[in-house]
Amino acid sequence: MIETVSAILADGFFAAVAALGFGAISNPPMRAFPRIALLAAAGHALRFTLMTYFGVDIATGSLCASLTIGFGSMMLGRRIHCPTTVMSIPALLPMIPGMYAYKSMFSIVMFFQKIDDTAVCAAYLDTALRNGMITVFVILTLAAGATLPILMFPSKAYTMTRRQQCQNNA
Amino acid sequence: MQRQTQGDPHSELAATVGFIARYASYLMGSGVHTSRVVRNSRRIGSALDVEINLAVFPKSIIVSGTDAHGESFSRVVAIPACPIDFERNADLSALSWEAHDRRLPLAQIEQRYEELCAKPRLDPMLVMILAGLANASFCRLFGGDFKAMGIVFTATLFGFFVKQKLAQRGMNHYLLFIAAAFAASLMSSLSLILDTTSDVALATSVLFLIPGVPLINGFIDIIEGHILTGISRLTAAIMLIACIAIGLSATLMMVKSELL
Repeated sequence: MIETVSAILADGFFAAVAALGFGAISNPPMRAFPRIALLAAAGHALRFTLMTYFGVDIATGSLCASLTIGFGSMMLGRRIHCPTTVMSIPALLPMIPGMYAYKSMFSIVMFFQKIDDTAVCAAYLDTALRNGMITVFVILTLAAGATLPILMFPSKAYTMTRRQQCQNNA
Repeated sequence: MQRQTQGDPHSELAATVGFIARYASYLMGSGVHTSRVVRNSRRIGSALDVEINLAVFPKSIIVSGTDAHGESFSRVVAIPACPIDFERNADLSALSWEAHDRRLPLAQIEQRYEELCAKPRLDPMLVMILAGLANASFCRLFGGDFKAMGIVFTATLFGFFVKQKLAQRGMNHYLLFIAAAFAASLMSSLSLILDTTSDVALATSVLFLIPGVPLINGFIDIIEGHILTGISRLTAAIMLIACIAIGLSATLMMVKSELL
């Protein structure tokens, strides 16, 4: 039990570090950092739990995680006047299936290296297609999960950066 | 104030459309999804009593403004290639609300815009170290051990350094990604000497280059109906991933020929 909990917490921790680091390349505002870390940890740990202990596939797991991040960024963003995507995109970055994208591309490179050997070629083509499918659908579910809250509550999502006191002054 | 002294409605409209063209192209270039750019631009326009319409293409935007007298003015602007910047995204979106709620005049909006754009980015050294730590954590998530994490951290710093240096020299974007992927993976191939999870180390060392933001933005654009810009963002991201694969394969061919 303790092992399970510590595995989940460790996964969340490393996801948070990954989100901050990859996010930092895209220059998020400093005030958003703690919220990005929290959202990334919650989303990635949820996906890890679903996939490891409940046998959920990677696309469904990613959808659950990205919905959590999407709704979470909506709840957390207003206080710091950040659009939802400023928090949700960095928080989603650790779940981008970079490894699958890379494996897919690598198999295509190898496909041409072994073009004369039909059996090996077929194996590389299979790997390329499988990893490519995972890449496309995981990114699609990540984006869909992050966008759904915006589509559901547009008036709330579009006024995230509006300052309330300005309205009173006006 | 300036608006009254100028008094010429046409040049006023031209100035408004000119500013919004600059604003919208900057936002598009720094990785804001299309629907937000359109919304923000129209909001600033309505604050200045100009109806704004945008046609967004992958490399350029057509901005057209119509004022209260029914006079219209349009401009085509090129979208600059800026680094992705979430802080500008948040600040400039807030500026559009500020302009709308306080009915700021154009001169003041422009002044605020210049101030917000002049804000410094995060320190490059800090970004490099954070990216290194992030990639090491990634290595951990994919089942690498602590030795592999250390190697990935070093490799990422090296790859990032190469990328920053070559970018300063104005090297082509694609060649830059090939070079950085090659440098990072070559560095992490040192793990083959050690007894560690070198496969994970080699594969994760290049993942800091994966263009995650355009990938997500591209799909968000498509979901929101901006299919043209969405597909162009995804295509650019896929090209970069292909470049990463080329750089990494070069290393693999050199150091691990039995894997091929």
